[in-house]
Amino acid sequence: MIDNTIVISTPPHVKSRRTTRGIMGDVCIALAPAAIAGIVFFGYMAFVLELVAVASCVATEFCYYFIANGGFAKKCANAVKVCKKWLKQFDLTSVVTGLILALIIPATVNWYEVIIGGIFAIAIVKMFFGGTGKNLVNPAAAARVFMFISFSLTVYGKVIFGPLLDPASEGAILSDATNLSGYLLHGQGSALSNLDLFLGTGVRGCIGETCKAAILLGYVYLCIRKVIKWWQPLMFIAVFGLCAVLFTGFSYDTYKFDISLFLPSILSGGVLFAAVFMFTDYVTSPRGLYGQICYYIVGAVLLALLRYLTKIEVASFVILIMNILVPLMDKYLIRKPFGYVKTKAEKEGK
Amino acid sequence: MKAVRGKFYFGGVHPHGRKELSQAAALETMPAPGAVTISTSQSLGKPAQPVVEVGQEVKMGQLIAAADGPISSDVFSSVSGRVEAVFDGTGANGGREKFIVIKNNGLDDKAYLPPLSSPSAEEIKTRIKEAGIVGLGGAGFPTAVKASPRTPVDTLILNGAECEPYLTCDHRLMLEKSEEIARGARYIAKALGVTNIIIGIEANKPDCIEKFEKFDDIKVVILRKQYPMGGEKQLVYVTTGRKIGLPPALPADSGVVVQNVATAFAVCEAVELGKPLLERVVTVSGQAVKNPKNMWVRLGTSVREIVDYCGAEDEKPKKVVQGGPMTGLALASYEVYTHKTTSGILLMNEKEAAAYEPTPCVNCGKCADVCPMHLMPMNTAFYASAGDFAAAAKYGNTLACIECGACEYICPAKRPLIQAIRQTKAEMRKAGGKK
Repeated sequence: MIDNTIVISTPPHVKSRRTTRGIMGDVCIALAPAAIAGIVFFGYMAFVLELVAVASCVATEFCYYFIANGGFAKKCANAVKVCKKWLKQFDLTSVVTGLILALIIPATVNWYEVIIGGIFAIAIVKMFFGGTGKNLVNPAAAARVFMFISFSLTVYGKVIFGPLLDPASEGAILSDATNLSGYLLHGQGSALSNLDLFLGTGVRGCIGETCKAAILLGYVYLCIRKVIKWWQPLMFIAVFGLCAVLFTGFSYDTYKFDISLFLPSILSGGVLFAAVFMFTDYVTSPRGLYGQICYYIVGAVLLALLRYLTKIEVASFVILIMNILVPLMDKYLIRKPFGYVKTKAEKEGK
Repeated sequence: MKAVRGKFYFGGVHPHGRKELSQAAALETMPAPGAVTISTSQSLGKPAQPVVEVGQEVKMGQLIAAADGPISSDVFSSVSGRVEAVFDGTGANGGREKFIVIKNNGLDDKAYLPPLSSPSAEEIKTRIKEAGIVGLGGAGFPTAVKASPRTPVDTLILNGAECEPYLTCDHRLMLEKSEEIARGARYIAKALGVTNIIIGIEANKPDCIEKFEKFDDIKVVILRKQYPMGGEKQLVYVTTGRKIGLPPALPADSGVVVQNVATAFAVCEAVELGKPLLERVVTVSGQAVKNPKNMWVRLGTSVREIVDYCGAEDEKPKKVVQGGPMTGLALASYEVYTHKTTSGILLMNEKEAAAYEPTPCVNCGKCADVCPMHLMPMNTAFYASAGDFAAAAKYGNTLACIECGACEYICPAKRPLIQAIRQTKAEMRKAGGKK
């Protein structure tokens, strides 16, 4: 019998089982190898930071939601209702943000700084702009830049973040970005082989960015689950590597490009992590095909160029710059509909 | 002819077919109901005008409503008996329609048109118009109009894709009536003056492909299993490599005419038996119905009688859909009557008709990736939600949308995209059709 329980809606009446929460869960799973590798290389401190970052992000999101939805109204029952509502709409985006934030900072960062970074990422970058799907820039990248600028000015911060700012004067062992600086400045690397860079053994760097093998594992998982398109990170890495060779590998003596720089440049620093997990962030990357192609190519060239000019790891900054350009790409790089033919007026350029 | 593979095509989704529910059920004829309620709005364009009076005796196949205008079609009585009432009622889609109720006397007195033997092109065209044949794929565009294209054509494409999940009516028809469909296609080809006949069949129907490979004058193209492969523009591109321009361009402008296989069958019956369009194959499926079936149903049979004939409900349905699940209409009651275009009645249970709450758009771009028309549905939804329909149409290219539903199917945030697209289209029409 048809009665009031029947549902009436516009078609389609069947929908895919994929939900935002499911996709974010997949991203969490894809991040797990990098997170575990970080714990293996950097000890319990990495685990503490990952935990603190995720907790801080989720707690911030909850508090914001609680206040914004009137959780502090007089009645107690209201608060419970708001909590239930929050649980229902909780889509794991803040967990992903927290995890990424923890993986792109060094293990020597103090735990309370991570809390401040998490609050900044969720409250200011995400919720102030309207919550999930509305943020203009990648929350994790913005929080990293915020922490970098805020805390590297203190004395101890210099030890942690310092080499990034001034690679020549500080010791060349603190960050794997320094290994990169060796290439950038002197055209020769440290003792680390490509295999070491790939596996992350003996590399000092950020928690999740050192072990490239773990990141590749996550990439493969994301591709199999069709969360990201397989060609996006590949295109980014390829263009970036070629540009790095072009900018740094040119020798004026022999007029030749040093191709051997290709692998070290893509394997050092946070390029691989950024390409797989941060540039591909849904919210802050273009929607259409042409926009996406443009986004990855311009981003890769910009990253290679800025790395060459500044001699520091600038992946987070480039992500922020590209994020801000995304609305423009969305507006002007639109695919023409199937079967579109130019009208006469358009052909004449009117 | 030996089957060939179709061209590759970007876009589309792969919904769970669930065709196994009704695929094995051979065609059967549902007994004529005690009374039929036939709507006069059976095709695109204006509704037909009733030409019978209350109390009049009519025969099976007698004209009861005459076409009004060029894109309208004649309506015929599907039973013999007495006209009980002519009334204004609410149609399945909520619009006002005129209905003619005919009480069945059970005699099936036939008043068919005279059969034609070796007809000329003109005779076939007239017969298609006289028999009230419309496109049986779903849109209901009068076949007579398609048979007289405004530009010369060189190819007739038969649409046997049936890419909609659940539906198996075309599958069974192709399997059991392949001879008739081929003959019908030849009649249409003759009316159009073309010799090149192509049939596109999805790869999940190998038995049908085998059947049609037997005919020497019909080229079989195997389509990838993908929704919406049976969309007119997609089918034409995959089978011939031609692109159809944006509306108001028609397939005929690219030199092709597309007809559903069920239409070809109806043309064959109209020419050889003189039978007007008064019954069609309906798939009754879904997990909430006891015996899924493919059966011949008279025009104007109520959905309640169809469901009862199929063993009633197995469990309580969550959604009742007329047509396919991707483009069909959700029904609010069983007091809805079959049309010429009703291809299926689906009773979906709680699990199938998962009614999700929409969550915020995360900008993933999956809707644009799967759009067979290469549009940007998320832009339409975004601007339409802000009430800026001009921008919605511009940045989403909404006016080219074929409303296949692939975008909303894939959306992980379960956004109501089709609703936004329809609203935008309606607003743009209101604004004077300006682009």
